[in-house]
Amino acid sequence: MKFLNKIIFFFYREYKLNLSGFQDILTNIIFFFVSILIFIFSIGPDEEVISLIGVGIVWALLLLSSTLSLKKFYQDDFENGNLLIIHLNGFSFGFIAILKTISHFLFVQIPFLLSIPIACIILNISDDKFFYLLTSFSMGSLTLSCLGSISSSMNLMNHRNYLLGSVIVMIFSVPIIIFSIGIINIEQNFNSLINILFGILLIVFAINPWASGLCLKLSLENN
Amino acid sequence: MKFLVNPSKFNEIADYIFKPVLILSVILFALGLLFSFYLSPDDYQQGSTVRIMYVHVPSAWLALLTYAVMTLYSIAALAFRIPFGFIFNTAVAPIGAVFTLICIISGSLWGKPMWGTWWVWDARLTSVAILFIIYLIIIFMNLSFENRIVREKVVAIFILVGSVNLPIVKFSVDWWNTLHQPATISKLSKPSIDPSMLTPLIIMTFAFMMIGIAIAILRIKTEIISRKSNLS
Repeated sequence: MKFLNKIIFFFYREYKLNLSGFQDILTNIIFFFVSILIFIFSIGPDEEVISLIGVGIVWALLLLSSTLSLKKFYQDDFENGNLLIIHLNGFSFGFIAILKTISHFLFVQIPFLLSIPIACIILNISDDKFFYLLTSFSMGSLTLSCLGSISSSMNLMNHRNYLLGSVIVMIFSVPIIIFSIGIINIEQNFNSLINILFGILLIVFAINPWASGLCLKLSLENN
Repeated sequence: MKFLVNPSKFNEIADYIFKPVLILSVILFALGLLFSFYLSPDDYQQGSTVRIMYVHVPSAWLALLTYAVMTLYSIAALAFRIPFGFIFNTAVAPIGAVFTLICIISGSLWGKPMWGTWWVWDARLTSVAILFIIYLIIIFMNLSFENRIVREKVVAIFILVGSVNLPIVKFSVDWWNTLHQPATISKLSKPSIDPSMLTPLIIMTFAFMMIGIAIAILRIKTEIISRKSNLS
């Protein structure tokens, strides 16, 4: 019971922190919409072309804009020492990684999930494609959160090259984007591809606490 | 076999075998180039461009082999606390990157006359490109961390996570319909290549391997020395 209370307080703290820094999340979403705008300008306002490649644009930009906030994943807690305090309260590093991943999913990826319908309206994406996009992103965003946890915990002590974290996430998200776009474009393959996506999610979710926990431990030991 | 995990033993053995390996690689390169340019037949379809294979295939094999060995050393270094694994990873990553680059460039030079294009986005080519980017990320990680202990362990973890890509590279030609041909030699049944072409291929593979080992010995020795003097 005490442990459960601690977890609830952890999420309450994350909620407070994210609420006070809500403009960051809003800035991410604004980045998403502005880059859609840039894409439309560079392709030209031809409706047929846009509805053909719109899904790919939305997925790629979701990926790009969710890697923007990766720097804040562990960095603030790491620098002001909260990570150590959470660990001293009885959470192992792997468990901190899981909790942080879930909180990143709740407070950063869910706003993107809510902004997908607006993007679909702007880009003239049809209703069934919109449903597939929502399904694949709700699964893929948790995978992206796990990858973000791994890469940002790797780069905690990296004071020279922050962009490396985003590159790592983008490299490992290649299969996710392949199979998600596959779901949307080849509709009769829905079940098999959703199983593959779910499999990738489970693999990454299993690797995540091990890899990020080890990296967090290393960085805290050698800080 | 203790020299594979112990830096001082490695230094002793490396002093003995460096010159023989270098001479062997020169001999093998001369022999292999002679075979591949003059003593092997033209392909009945591809003509003389088939000779690009004698550079392309060995470099691709060695790019994969280098990453596989790095993965094994990462496991050894993280699980059994063998610091030689970290030295090996730091030293060998650029060699693998160069092999991958040679593979990509020679492949696109081969693709232009045969497929009519420098580059296509099929599974084999894309996964090799991702392998190259993973090598580059390893090199950049080695350059950008200040703390050595954190750096080497983080790089080892990254190598382990990135080794997911290896089976994708190997089996991409079987899993997807690709423009790239499926495996001819490294498969369970008899290789479907004529012995007159297999001979120069094997010789060139060993030549590439020897030159790779020679460069790796130099780089590992440098890394050991720089670690002893606490330069990095």
